[in-house]
Amino acid sequence: MAQTRKPPELKLKDITGRQVRLSDYRGKIVLLNFWATWCPPCRAEIPDLIRLQREYHSAGLRVIGVTYPPQTLPEVKEFFRKHKMNYPVAIGNKANKLLFTESESLPMTIVIGANGSVKDIIEGILLPEEFEQKIKPLLKKPLGESK
Amino acid sequence: MRKSLVLTLAMSAVMLISAIGISAATRKATIRVEGMKCANCSGSVKKALKATAGVETVEVNHQTQEAVIEYDDTKVTEVRLREVINSTGFKAVEE
Repeated sequence: MAQTRKPPELKLKDITGRQVRLSDYRGKIVLLNFWATWCPPCRAEIPDLIRLQREYHSAGLRVIGVTYPPQTLPEVKEFFRKHKMNYPVAIGNKANKLLFTESESLPMTIVIGANGSVKDIIEGILLPEEFEQKIKPLLKKPLGESK
Repeated sequence: MRKSLVLTLAMSAVMLISAIGISAATRKATIRVEGMKCANCSGSVKKALKATAGVETVEVNHQTQEAVIEYDDTKVTEVRLREVINSTGFKAVEE
């Protein structure tokens, strides 16, 4: 589902208490991942998101996790610690997800371009071919790679 | 008469070989999937299976806890289909 509209401002606190503001990520490609610890496919894709954050950080990719209720802070902190998550995770609510889509699918990943516009909405697990086709072309090319 | 009989036999043989070829390539697997509690869950399993090379049709029902998959067995195996289901966080039950 290709999108181009401007994203609404999303301002949340991550599980360490730091503020996460979507507008602070201008110039980056953001994967805003709505997930929950009780959602098996959400849990299944976390290792891939951790890997993408690590491998494509220098190319401008940033992952932000936003949980979907019902979800408690201790559950998320425990999951975050256990899986060594390397990106900010905030406790979200239904309204946060509704800012982007009415779909009830989880996981749900909103792809936000460098100019802040919503480039795509990916329902379900982010598949490797979806990353290659929809996200990788948005990223900065590593030095030495033409175009 | 003889010529037409030979021709008929030859055509029958070609049709039979084609039919065997199709049935050998397309298979149907019904796999029980544990843990799906809602339509969104079955959607994730369906999406992953549909993206798998060799999969032709997929129906996943969270109520019956089943995935019914038609696939080309020259391109993908049932073992691989089970791995794909497991990669979505659910469990393909061995029966």
